[in-house]
Amino acid sequence: MNTLYVTGNSLLHRLSARAKLIALAATGIALIVLASPLLLGISTLAALALYASVGIGWRQSWLRLRPVFVTIFVVAIFALLVNSPEEAAVTLLRLTTLVLLAAAVTATTGIGEFVDEITLAARPLERLGLVRASDIGLAVGLVIRFVPEVLGRYQAIRDAHEARGLKARPLTLAVPLIILTLKNADDIAAAIDARGIRGHKPARRSKER
Amino acid sequence: MQIHFEQAGASFEGRVAVEPLTLSLTERRIGIIGLNGSGKTTFARMINGLVKPTQGRVTVDGFDSASDGETVRAKVGFIFQNPQNQIILPILHEDIALGLKNRRLPRHAVDAAVDGILRRFGIERLSGRRVHELSGGELQLAALASVLVTEPEVVILDEPTNQLDLRNRALVEKTVHGLDEMAIVISHDLDLIRDFDRVLLFHEGRLAADDAPSQVIARYRELAA
Ligand SMILES: Nc1ncnc2c1ncn2[C@@H]1O[C@H](COP(=O)(O)OP(=O)(O)OP(=O)(O)O)[C@@H](O)[C@H]1O
Ligand SMILES: [Mg+2]
Repeated sequence: MNTLYVTGNSLLHRLSARAKLIALAATGIALIVLASPLLLGISTLAALALYASVGIGWRQSWLRLRPVFVTIFVVAIFALLVNSPEEAAVTLLRLTTLVLLAAAVTATTGIGEFVDEITLAARPLERLGLVRASDIGLAVGLVIRFVPEVLGRYQAIRDAHEARGLKARPLTLAVPLIILTLKNADDIAAAIDARGIRGHKPARRSKER
Repeated sequence: MQIHFEQAGASFEGRVAVEPLTLSLTERRIGIIGLNGSGKTTFARMINGLVKPTQGRVTVDGFDSASDGETVRAKVGFIFQNPQNQIILPILHEDIALGLKNRRLPRHAVDAAVDGILRRFGIERLSGRRVHELSGGELQLAALASVLVTEPEVVILDEPTNQLDLRNRALVEKTVHGLDEMAIVISHDLDLIRDFDRVLLFHEGRLAADDAPSQVIARYRELAA
């Protein structure tokens, strides 16, 4: 079991989860509106500085961000082919900035805080009778919690292949990964039930003696 | 606290895991033993409704564990065979607090409850630790704390000393013996249940013995031979 959270005492660590999430959302909107490569380049540098202040370390960062950066790179190449080089640069810088900021927020915010804030934000929807706010919070928390877990399991399956001298093929990696992940999801669901984390319905509580 | 099985049994896809049985559990310390695959975990999961009986019914203080599962689970805490799987958030104090989430307590009340339970098990020092870094014994105590913080009346432990070294085993045994709550303990560690009030023996899905520990352990040795 691993976690994206990094212990530390940087400025971002000390800011409240709410402030970070609101700032992240606002910056996201600003980045979409912004279309100047120069300004976006400056934002990217600023985001990089902020990310560096968290103290994740280069190796860790590479492991964490590589998959997203590969995706961004592919998207940028695509923009280069169908649009202009300027368009491609804008896409590249915009997404890179956003990813760096989001990664910095994720690394400095405990999952418990995320769950609390998302739950609070979903309360209006609960009042409309659409959802249980605590379910939304829990769902988001579980996603953040299980991303590193699934990656870790992927690593373990690959190691198992190597240890047994087998060649790792996409299919022989994917099948056990999916089965293990589903099995794990079952266990977690059972744990959520067993620990009563989703709570009682009020009607039932009144029946308790 | 009264747990009652009424001709309750469970099958998975037609294969019987627990044959229908009728019994009441009220003792403070109840052990469950039996070979691998004999139905111990299934029996225990029927108590809190994680496994619904495919026939008969199970009630806890009169509440049906299948139809009133949430009420029953508030009364019955469960520590899984692999406690890794029940710790949901990565930092211990966050995970313990998660169990109190739906009570909508003010923050300081949650913090006080978390501190209290950590102190009860003498693991305050683990509060800010990442759960995946804990040793087997610490993990077992952490899981126990995360379950007991919600104040269940009964706690079921599924092989709590499995995979522990001698020292951690002793630690967990001492903790289990000291619980104020009623405890139902599944165990291959016969020392753990030797002075319990009552022990159930499962064999191939059937309740093969139900008596004081020494008799049941003797019967288990015969069956296992
Ligand atoms: N979810 C499930 N789906 C299908 N079969 C299951 C399921 N859970 C248990 N079984 C089967 O029911 C039987 C009893 O399993 P159970 O887990 O209750 O045994 P156990 O006594 O706890 O064993 P162990 O000592 O190995 O933990 C086994 O044959 C098992 O394969
Ligand atoms: Mg079992």
